[in-house]
Amino acid sequence: MRASPARGALIALLTCGVLGGTLLSLATGGRSDVGLLSLFDGDLLTQTVLWDIRAPRTLAAACLGANLGLAGLILQSITRNPLASPAILGINQGAALGLALAFVVPVFGRVGPDAMAVFGAFGAGLLTFAIAGGFRGRMDAMRLILGGVAVGAFSYAMVRFTFTLEDDIARSVVRWTVGDITDIRWVETTQLAFSTLPGLAAALALSQRLNLISLGQDAAQGLGADPRVTLFLGMMLAAVLAGVSVSVAGPIAFTGLVVPHLARFLFGGEHTVLVPAVAALGAGLMLSADGLSKILTAPVEAPIGVVAALIGAPWFLWLAVRTKDLE
Amino acid sequence: MSPVRAILFLSGLLLCAAMASLAVGAVRVPVPVILNTLFDLDGPQQTFIITRSRLPRTWLAVVTGASLGVSGAIIQALLRNPLASPKIIGINSGAALAVLIAVLALPDLPPGWVPLSAVVGGIAAAALLYVLSELRQVSPARLAVIGIAVGFTADAGVDFILVTADSYAVSAPLVWLTGSLWSRGWSHVGTVAPILAPLLLVGLALSYRLDIIRLGSAQATALGMNVRLERLVLLAVAALLASVSVSVVGVLGFVGLMAPHIARMLVGGQHRGLLPVAALVGALLVVTADAAGRAVAPPVEISAGILTALFGAPFFVYLMLTRQIEARS
Repeated sequence: MRASPARGALIALLTCGVLGGTLLSLATGGRSDVGLLSLFDGDLLTQTVLWDIRAPRTLAAACLGANLGLAGLILQSITRNPLASPAILGINQGAALGLALAFVVPVFGRVGPDAMAVFGAFGAGLLTFAIAGGFRGRMDAMRLILGGVAVGAFSYAMVRFTFTLEDDIARSVVRWTVGDITDIRWVETTQLAFSTLPGLAAALALSQRLNLISLGQDAAQGLGADPRVTLFLGMMLAAVLAGVSVSVAGPIAFTGLVVPHLARFLFGGEHTVLVPAVAALGAGLMLSADGLSKILTAPVEAPIGVVAALIGAPWFLWLAVRTKDLE
Repeated sequence: MSPVRAILFLSGLLLCAAMASLAVGAVRVPVPVILNTLFDLDGPQQTFIITRSRLPRTWLAVVTGASLGVSGAIIQALLRNPLASPKIIGINSGAALAVLIAVLALPDLPPGWVPLSAVVGGIAAAALLYVLSELRQVSPARLAVIGIAVGFTADAGVDFILVTADSYAVSAPLVWLTGSLWSRGWSHVGTVAPILAPLLLVGLALSYRLDIIRLGSAQATALGMNVRLERLVLLAVAALLASVSVSVVGVLGFVGLMAPHIARMLVGGQHRGLLPVAALVGALLVVTADAAGRAVAPPVEISAGILTALFGAPFFVYLMLTRQIEARS
């Protein structure tokens, strides 16, 4: 644990990051003549651009960052595996499969796309855990990752299979499968925010259990917290957070991997601190990524998921080579 | 099953699959008509569909499937890792990224140069893996994870290029990336077959060396072998086979993983028999996947790569659970 003045400085830094990211994301976009100043003296058109197009997108980016960061943190804690994250364990792809089924199969469509995404995420996560031996009390680190990749590859192939058969949606799928928030309006953003706030509260409530399980499954058992219960609750929460994010923005990879590592590096391993820190850090990073995605390849926008992957994938490679306690 | 009988058996199956591949699709062609067309007999013929469209594509499926199968068998033997394959260790994605960069950066690139750019990408990915496995003795499972990470990194680059390029330039590579044989013609066969055929022969000729390498490097050196050099040559052959295949048919996931395992179930682990059988199994898998993709819902085509992934991913999990991989070695 770090000394409190340093902690204060970190919190100030984090706040600045979130604020700066928000401003960057609000100020950039296709209409380059519309800037922040239009908030105060713009005409009706620029007001519309800012309030109806950019603001919901900015808020969505913040919520997505928080959701995915928290999902990643929970998964890394309950599996005690530094490589775990919603995308690596196949959970994002499972959510995408649930969503694809909701669009294509009428029976599933009646359940609603969000619920299907969450079911898909949950199913994929359970399958990966089962392959890794998580429910027999001995989770094999390597099997978890390799099993997750296989579950993800299968779900993704299924998604492409369903979309090949449905011609009209196939065109828009490319952008969606990499994670895109260009077309988000207030409807989707509200929906997303309704998962982020309760999600954060639930993660805070779980944080003691996460602390215990990070000591090891046996130690957690000895201290009175059944690791299987933690595993199940954490899995559920991560599935809801990742599932709703995927149904709104598509499977954004690597945010859930990178953010918890950064937060742990800055704030140490105490989960009551980590949970809010990850939420803020994830929001700040995704806001900046959203701003960058509009600047990098202007006038074409790179979907936010691609920007995240360009940063996150080399990071994953680095972790795969360097991490000591995998074997 | 002895290798000779396995080869005869698989050749028969492959012939049947190839006939099916010529017959199915948006327009069904009955078998007598196919035979008439192929051997120029009297009677009704379907020259355009058969010789211009389906025959080259079937040939391409045979050649690339065989290459992927042999490539996978060599890589599994070299790394002594049952989970390894060109796809898992990132060669496919590296090749795909390099081709995409080449095609988009140099639109006037003659098609003959495309395999070369694929080779550059595939070799780069293989080189990274070679360095890691030779210099830092990493465990098989970690090697697989590192390979997956290399693949993810290349995929991120592919995605970036795909979504930022303007729409027309995107649509062609997209079909290609999903691992599809759609609209492949004789020119594609002509480009890659002259490269892949000699490589396949080299791979088959060197197959008995793999048996010695599998004993471990100490024993192999004691038997008078320059282990480092031979490993390098074999890995290069495997990487070339995989990346040249990728340059025409895109990423056909899991063929290089499944083919050697199925071959091993049939004829055992002796590489002299294993490699030709793996080549036949690989060819059979790709031809079948391509034909099935056309037969499921005509006139829509399901990419062969989607079908191989649908069967390959569960197969990978099955392998991981049944073979006790040495995660802690």
